[in-house]
Amino acid sequence: MNCDEALQLLEQFVDRELTSEEITEVQRHLGACPPCLRLFHFEENLRRLVRRACNESAPSALRERIVSQSIGAETRD
Amino acid sequence: MRNTADAEDLVQETYLRAFRFRNQFIRGSNLRAWLFKILSNTAISRFRHTSHERGNASLDEMVEAELYPQLTDGVSALTESAEDEALSGILDVDVRRALESLPEPFRLAVVLSDVAGFSYKEIADMLEVPQGTVMSRLFRGRRILRKWLADYARRVSPPTEGSPQ
Repeated sequence: MNCDEALQLLEQFVDRELTSEEITEVQRHLGACPPCLRLFHFEENLRRLVRRACNESAPSALRERIVSQSIGAETRD
Repeated sequence: MRNTADAEDLVQETYLRAFRFRNQFIRGSNLRAWLFKILSNTAISRFRHTSHERGNASLDEMVEAELYPQLTDGVSALTESAEDEALSGILDVDVRRALESLPEPFRLAVVLSDVAGFSYKEIADMLEVPQGTVMSRLFRGRRILRKWLADYARRVSPPTEGSPQ
């Protein structure tokens, strides 16, 4: 696998969307190619940053509203 | 969905609908994906009049070459380890601002994949679009983010040629 082929699959590799054969091939390429490995780390960082930035949990007031609403719905059923 | 009250109402209604239609949930299937699907349908029916659907067709028109990410776009600047460090100092509020700048279908794909951790197929089922469309939106959304991050890194640590350490 050359760099072009590896880069075409890199996003799907990071997203865990490849077959096990493709994974092995991409891994082999990354192990032998520092520039592509660097892009791989950048891709991982990008996803980590997005995940961290959006990692909010629901406000407790909303949770309480939903719980009491569900109890209400259950008793009506 | 950029308004907190609307977002909370939407979540509340989603749970109510999920509860009401709980018999339709297939045991053993992905509960989170099912909830997101309800959420997505609720959002579409509720905000149809303000939806960006009209713009989606043109966003999804793409040449084959665009399906694949140009990973090197904007990333060529990121060759020095100092720029990696610049990224590690990036603030969540800045990343959120970058996300908000994305066209809505792109942002949705990125958030469903990167934040919620859904597969391409799950996202395609949820949004009722082909998997290729999900990939295209995701890759193009990330391409914009990548470029934005590279610009950010350049701003934070501009090339300091020959500066002594």
